[in-house]
Amino acid sequence: MRGPGRWAVLLALAVLAVVMLFPFVLVALNAVKSPADYSTHGPLSLPDGLYLQGLADFWSRVGFGGKLWNSLLISASVAVLAVVLSVLNAYALGIGRVKGRLSILVLFLVANTLPQEALAYPLYYLAKATGLYDTRLSVIIVMTVIQAAFGTYLLSAVLGQFPKEILEAAAIDGAGRLRALWRIVVPISRPTLNVLLIFFFIWTWNEFFLPLIFLISNDTQTVPVTLAVLQGEKFMDATMSSASALLGIVPAVAFFLIFQRTLTRGVTVGAIK
Amino acid sequence: MVRLRGAAALAAAVLVLSACGSGSETPSPASSGQPRVLKLWHYETPDSAMGKAWAEAIKKFEASHPNVTVKFESKGFEQIQKTASMVLNSDEAPDLMEYNKGNATAGLLSKQGLLTDLTEEATKRGWDKLLPGGLQTTARYDDRGVMGTGNWYGIPNYGEFVMVYYNKDLFDKHKVRVPTTFEEFTAALDTFVKAGVTPIANAGAEYPAQQIFYQLALTKAQKPWLAAYQSYQGKVDFHGPELTYGAQTFADWVKKGYIAKNSSGLKAEDMGVSFMNGKFPMMISGSWWYGRVASEVKDFQWGHFLFPGTTLAPGSSGNLWVVPEKAKNKDLAYDFIDITMSKDVQNLLGNSGGVPVAADPAAITDARSKELIETFNKLTTADGLAFYPDWPAPGYYDVLVAGVQNLINGSKTPAQVLDEIAKPYEDNLADIGN
Amino acid sequence: MRARTRGYWLYLVPSLVLFLAVIVVPFLMNVGASFTRWSGVGTPRWIGLGNYARLLEDERFWQSFQHNVGLIVAMAVVPTAIGLVLAAALFDYIGKRFGPRTASALRAMYYLPQILPVAVAGVVWGWMLHPSYGAVNQILGLDLDWLGDPDLALATVMGVMVWFQLGYPVVIFMAGLQRVDPAYYEAAEIDGASWWRRFWHITIPQIRPEIFVVLLTCTIAALKVFGPIFVLTRGGPGNATMVPSYFSYLNFFQKSNVGYGSAVATVLALIIIVVTFLFLRVQEREQ
Repeated sequence: MRGPGRWAVLLALAVLAVVMLFPFVLVALNAVKSPADYSTHGPLSLPDGLYLQGLADFWSRVGFGGKLWNSLLISASVAVLAVVLSVLNAYALGIGRVKGRLSILVLFLVANTLPQEALAYPLYYLAKATGLYDTRLSVIIVMTVIQAAFGTYLLSAVLGQFPKEILEAAAIDGAGRLRALWRIVVPISRPTLNVLLIFFFIWTWNEFFLPLIFLISNDTQTVPVTLAVLQGEKFMDATMSSASALLGIVPAVAFFLIFQRTLTRGVTVGAIK
Repeated sequence: MVRLRGAAALAAAVLVLSACGSGSETPSPASSGQPRVLKLWHYETPDSAMGKAWAEAIKKFEASHPNVTVKFESKGFEQIQKTASMVLNSDEAPDLMEYNKGNATAGLLSKQGLLTDLTEEATKRGWDKLLPGGLQTTARYDDRGVMGTGNWYGIPNYGEFVMVYYNKDLFDKHKVRVPTTFEEFTAALDTFVKAGVTPIANAGAEYPAQQIFYQLALTKAQKPWLAAYQSYQGKVDFHGPELTYGAQTFADWVKKGYIAKNSSGLKAEDMGVSFMNGKFPMMISGSWWYGRVASEVKDFQWGHFLFPGTTLAPGSSGNLWVVPEKAKNKDLAYDFIDITMSKDVQNLLGNSGGVPVAADPAAITDARSKELIETFNKLTTADGLAFYPDWPAPGYYDVLVAGVQNLINGSKTPAQVLDEIAKPYEDNLADIGN
Repeated sequence: MRARTRGYWLYLVPSLVLFLAVIVVPFLMNVGASFTRWSGVGTPRWIGLGNYARLLEDERFWQSFQHNVGLIVAMAVVPTAIGLVLAAALFDYIGKRFGPRTASALRAMYYLPQILPVAVAGVVWGWMLHPSYGAVNQILGLDLDWLGDPDLALATVMGVMVWFQLGYPVVIFMAGLQRVDPAYYEAAEIDGASWWRRFWHITIPQIRPEIFVVLLTCTIAALKVFGPIFVLTRGGPGNATMVPSYFSYLNFFQKSNVGYGSAVATVLALIIIVVTFLFLRVQEREQ
């Protein structure tokens, strides 16, 4: 397919992308709208002018800088720790093929399958008993386990297909098991690890329920919990919500855009020859 | 000199108070100049009437308690709602907190032993005198956690009620006068429908629709029915005249076009915005919209009236100040509540578009606020606060949303809907006290 | 060989310890709570199988499971199918003809909905689906009550879920395709195989592990979906979009009926575990 055909394909994919992005445009539009403008013209109109008061008000009202730091700390810790755990587990399950791996895998996946509401009360009592209630560490630990369960599953499926010859060659060379993991398995699965890192970071960033329950004081709160502060009992402040949403998604989007380039860069390293 | 004496009197008062406080199991540090912290949580926005009044109260409190700093944290409604019992059962509990009124919320916490009994303070400081009957109902809970009688577990600062907001410009355009009887009201609705205008803004996915349904039932209701429905004093017949009328009339109103058929998936925010941008002549909703309507409606004249044909309207005290059982500075919490009940703070609340419970009527200078407070006083004088339809049972809100949505869609008959909402109500009756 | 396998166990130890503390113990506590009447605070009262007996008769609960079937289609089946085509198109067509930058830019855009916090997504979709001024009605020239009509609400929620989920398979599949030996594609192109043939005979077989992963994780996500339902419809209109996890949430946090909520959560968890197990069995056999 040469000439116009390829442009048609590109066009179709681009149109789809625009459809996917439309809600973001709406968020941005309403973020810079004044409340009166919103009440008069509704959410779908173009803003009368640039109204940045909502953004500024929200920032200072909730001390947004501190929340950003909390979210960043929690999401980054969880992303890194969960990837490390996933690699270790997947190495044992996918390459080591330990006995009873199917049951172990199911067991791990339970972490992902349990409805979080079911864990709320037990984890609350455990956290209180260990003095971890209202600490960021509690959320980091819980989220690490939940994310690592997913990572373990994805990676052990991928590593299950890992060419045995490479590892056998390494074993002949006298490389130990740990060395084989770091020197061979990790570099070759880099693209998948990058994906996991990004997913974990973003999923943790957007996690609402557990931080809501565990991070009670304003000093430990994360961005999504803060966004909910605007959700009142009887109504919400839609323009300020949009403003806060914009502030809330910018870091995650930035993170994604920066790191997604490494996904592509992984191609050459990741190709198994 | 005066200031010095004032400070001395205050110090003495604090001493007496902390002496009282030390009787409870939370020892408060000696007040002799040692710095203390009052941990305070609420979830009102800073520009709301309550937000403004309470910010002022914090200032006053810090001025009168020089060795105390108020550590205020603004919370989300959702967060307090979901985590209250967990927080209050831990050492992270604040000293004073805003919390929702009603059996399923404050009632439940009091039953779980998480709230301090405020009865003694309420009588000593005269809060009980400041709150007329209908407002007291939500402050007191019995040992089953049912409101109306028993100990004081919360102190409300403000009131709220449901009324009809109307767009004067649209009323003039269609030559409709403010109705004073139910017949005039329906006649007005007919006029709008004939002119091709849907008269009532509605939101089926949230509280507004069930409040309209309840308001309609109230037009046929008397006090004993209300006591039965809300406080379980007697049996409620879901196929009795009140609820049958409410459901049937609501369904009729949708059929007649008073309420839009496509409103069942809408949120309260949609309803408010559509009224505020002039799309609907009327909105039947609560005083919590008042301040926002006042500040955001620029393009038309508007006013409000009580729903005609009954003295009852959905409404109650506002949210409560509660003192957690695990609070470490209960004496300070009581002082703070006292300041929020003072004339100054109450007047500020009134002048900012809220409905104060203990303001000085002469001090309310803002014309719109004055109007609102007069309406509220008219309602409380007639003992007309009828609470909200979802209060009798925990989780009943969603049941009513689903039920009224079926009325809007016409997917169930009024009788079927009444059966549907009767069951969870009766299940809960069996559970009370357990 | 046995000794070699045993050595790998060591790598599982850190996770197993954490897992025990964070998942196993709490889950057992949850199961324990499901045999009691408890408001979350104070002493639970043992009522044996009372909650389960009530659950068996609870129509709302069983109805809610039927809606899960629709959500599995919307969150697992459809995104996987579309995601495969998109990932292959981006990797094997756009990437080669317009450069990898174009491909990754498009991938980023497809993924962005996953980044939008679900509460915000709910508000924005509420605007777009609004029956009187909503953009969807205006663009399509329709007058439908998307979220308010009980016959339409579930389908609408399904549509929003496709939008929400699509980016996830695209990213996973594209990462998987990078693992594939480019020689396969080169050989196929030299043989003159059409794009669709390459799609069927190279792309799909080569990223089979990823397809399984996506299908399973999305199915689990669909079974326990909560956030989108909470923000879009709250299970309405009239239970038309009620799902088990929202149902258990209602019991936990609205009714403070922690015992019953635990029973609902336990049943839901067991069902998901069985589905997971069956799925993994099939996957093992495939490999």
